[in-house]
Amino acid sequence: MSSRLEAEHLYKVFGRRPDEAVERLRQGADREELRADGTTAAVIDASFTVEPGQIFVVMGLSGSGKSTLLRMLNGLLEPTAGHVRFDGQDLTALSDRELREVRAQKISMVFQHFALFPHRSVLENAAYGLAVQGVPRAEREKRAAEALQLCGLGGWEKSWPDELSGGMQQRVGLARALATDADLLLMDESFSALDPLIRRDMQDQLLELQRTLKKTIVFITHDLNEAMRLGDRIAVMRDGRIVQTGSAEDILLRPANDYVASFIQDVDRSRVLTAAALMDTSVTADAPLCACETATSETTFAELCAISARLSHRVSVVDGANKVIGVVPRQRLVAFLGDETADPSPCDNPEGKVIAHA
Amino acid sequence: MPRLPLGDWVDSGVDWLVAHMGWLFDAIKAVVEGMYDGVNAVLTAPEPLLLAGILAVLAWWLRGLVAGVLGFAGFALVDSLDLWDRAMSTLALVLVATVIALVISIPLGIWAARSRTVSAALRPVLDLLQTMPSMVLLIPAILFFGLGTAAGVIATLIFALAPGVRMTELGIRQVDAELVEAAEAFGTTPRDTLLRVQLPLALPTIMAGVNQVIMLSLSMVVIAGMVGTGGLGGAVNEAIGQLDIGFGFEAGVGIVVLAIYLDRITGALGAQISPLGRRTAAKARAAGNTKIWSYRPRPVVAVAGVAILALVAGGLGTFGPSAGTAEASATDVGKGKEIKIGYIPWDEGIASTYLWKELLERRGFKVTTTQYAAGPLYTGVATGQLDFQTDAWLPTTHAEYWQKFGKQLDDLGSWYGPTSLELTVPSYMKDVNSLEDLKNKSSEFKGKIIGIEPSAGMMGLLKDKVLKEYGLQGTYDVVDGSTPAMLAELKRAYAKKEPVVVTLWSPHWAYSDYDLKKLKDPKGAWGKGDGVHTLARKGFAEDNPEVGEWLKDFSMTEEQLTGLESQITKAGKGKEQDAVRTWLKQNPGLLDKWAPVAGSEPKSQAAG
Repeated sequence: MSSRLEAEHLYKVFGRRPDEAVERLRQGADREELRADGTTAAVIDASFTVEPGQIFVVMGLSGSGKSTLLRMLNGLLEPTAGHVRFDGQDLTALSDRELREVRAQKISMVFQHFALFPHRSVLENAAYGLAVQGVPRAEREKRAAEALQLCGLGGWEKSWPDELSGGMQQRVGLARALATDADLLLMDESFSALDPLIRRDMQDQLLELQRTLKKTIVFITHDLNEAMRLGDRIAVMRDGRIVQTGSAEDILLRPANDYVASFIQDVDRSRVLTAAALMDTSVTADAPLCACETATSETTFAELCAISARLSHRVSVVDGANKVIGVVPRQRLVAFLGDETADPSPCDNPEGKVIAHA
Repeated sequence: MPRLPLGDWVDSGVDWLVAHMGWLFDAIKAVVEGMYDGVNAVLTAPEPLLLAGILAVLAWWLRGLVAGVLGFAGFALVDSLDLWDRAMSTLALVLVATVIALVISIPLGIWAARSRTVSAALRPVLDLLQTMPSMVLLIPAILFFGLGTAAGVIATLIFALAPGVRMTELGIRQVDAELVEAAEAFGTTPRDTLLRVQLPLALPTIMAGVNQVIMLSLSMVVIAGMVGTGGLGGAVNEAIGQLDIGFGFEAGVGIVVLAIYLDRITGALGAQISPLGRRTAAKARAAGNTKIWSYRPRPVVAVAGVAILALVAGGLGTFGPSAGTAEASATDVGKGKEIKIGYIPWDEGIASTYLWKELLERRGFKVTTTQYAAGPLYTGVATGQLDFQTDAWLPTTHAEYWQKFGKQLDDLGSWYGPTSLELTVPSYMKDVNSLEDLKNKSSEFKGKIIGIEPSAGMMGLLKDKVLKEYGLQGTYDVVDGSTPAMLAELKRAYAKKEPVVVTLWSPHWAYSDYDLKKLKDPKGAWGKGDGVHTLARKGFAEDNPEVGEWLKDFSMTEEQLTGLESQITKAGKGKEQDAVRTWLKQNPGLLDKWAPVAGSEPKSQAAG
């Protein structure tokens, strides 16, 4: 199956003579050299693919170029070099008119500060994309109302954006994006402006919606925990470059460099790591040996600890057909908590008896 | 530094435009005057109080009952001051100027908001339009469009353009960039982004700009009055030209009523048509804030009210008095032909102008008289906008104007002379009798000579020649101002017996009102006295041979002129022509002497 969205060696340079700057970047010039000349390289040689139904998270600090990257995906910004392919169509080769058509039909966007139109009601806001598509009023209002219902805002249609809380406003933003039935959803720091509790709610709701809608989503965030929670795949950006792309576990377990490593220090690993990353895959079997509790490869570290505490032996990890694909010894769980990768050293009292000191 | 001939470039540019782009200016003029006449006709058609009612209902609808009542009271006041027609003419002028200004400035503002280059290029132009002294623009406007409404409207709208452009640009730029991006992200076309997102959200700011445009237009009408647009601006000009404080105040009140009404109405209109403003209003209504004085009729009711009043007005207008009075007689030389006379509000100008208005009307001409400052007056006659003027002081005082416009004018000869120019002190200044006596008295007069309009010919003469001859340069400053200001200063100083020296000329009524002393001019620096000439546009005498002959032969004695002037002063403002009639009755035979009709009398050689 071909990828839904593909970015190929994307560059975006602001300032004078951008093409020349791209050439210099290709030959190994770095961002600081260009800045001295007054040009800003916002995105440098970014390539990635997003599969249908995936949530692809681009993670980076402010100024890392992630928002610029996102805006090249729907043509709001034209790449200085490189290509964006969406469903096999090269967006960079389209005329303005064709590009607008693609944006209206297939790609929608959710913004950091919601970007709701203050002079339109909640329903009119949700129906905006459909209005642009030229859907007749009755139908677009019906579909907008459905999208609002889906986002938990049934009954608020007649309200005005400024009467809603931040979380509710962003639900309207989400409903507006979903109402058009676009396949690709671009989310630009969409939950960053919300307070932490609401942000978690919104993340849960997004995952919940994604389970049924199976949209392809590119999600921008500066919050690694959010990236880990939402992302099927994560790209970490620094200074305009993608420094690592991989699953949450790849990033967590095999950071590509010190920058990524320093980034992931504060991540709550127990919620991100799953049995798939922890298990010892040298032990397999056609079925568990006992009737004890088992785990699946998606079981998180925290849940594994709980299961392990209830069992007297290693936790078996089974697949959908109840086949054992690996085991997690308690030793490994403890080792991860302590960030210890060495094997246990031998004990001078192998009987394991506890010596009581008087 | 080499002298940059910027002024010459502008001169030749203006000349070129007048010579080659005349068709364009004529077209613009036709459109502007057409719009003005249309609006003015609509505004003056109904009975004043009926239109006041319509305007009041509009205010009631947009702002509430109090605004409606006050609006009606304001317009009723204007009517009771006998200023209704002038006020409506001013309102029409402001509306036309505003509409044209908006038609130009809003698209420009939109363009500027979308392109930094355009914005950067427009900014200095707007600065120029807004800060260039309006009189500087007014004279070219007369050259291009002639005296009257078109020049006034154009000068007004040039002045009022800038805030419209700026506020539109500001309003659009102020719209949250994320909202514009959101619109684009959903595939909205640039045009729809503008219409559906940017303009609705920028509307309150744009309406503030519209409000500014209207207010600035209104403040310009007084200046536009100098080029003969009439209306309240013309009234103010006449009043200050003749030191008529009371009439000036009344006209000023008329302008204030219009200003407040238009300001409040456009402010409320901004809230009515902007989606956000409508919402706020709806919220306030929902909060149960409905007192009787803030009750506002629904649009339907308001429109119906306006429509009914308008229909009544239309009905009355149709059946109103419209019968003309036609007087045909043997002396009807003019047969209704129109003649336009312009005048400077100097006493001999007013007297001779109204004298000729009366004489020509008796001879069957239709005469309009309009008051101007000297510069516009000369421009008006030279460009053929006016037929003649009777108050040219030649060869000395108006030498500069003659130099500039002489080729485009016909001199129909002097009708009064000689005149004299002088510096004058009150006679209580015992030891100042001659210009030479001023030399060491600089501190007594605080180094000031009270002058008149800097455009007046005698001011140039005084500064360039007279002061030099008597060695007064450096010790005296000539204070530029206006004739009324000079007279007011003389009156003030005279009352307190303070030392004062003013520029004055003879004949002047001030010599009969105050005990004054003309300073002797032993060196003859002021030159020989002028004659007061009649100047006509090129070809006027050929087009109107009888009138040309009459004007060429016209002359007045000092006794006649001062007698007529005092008659006019006695009759008071607005009754000049009645005074002329009275005076003619007291001096029978003058009509036939000055405007003889065939067979009545042989050509008379009147003595000076």
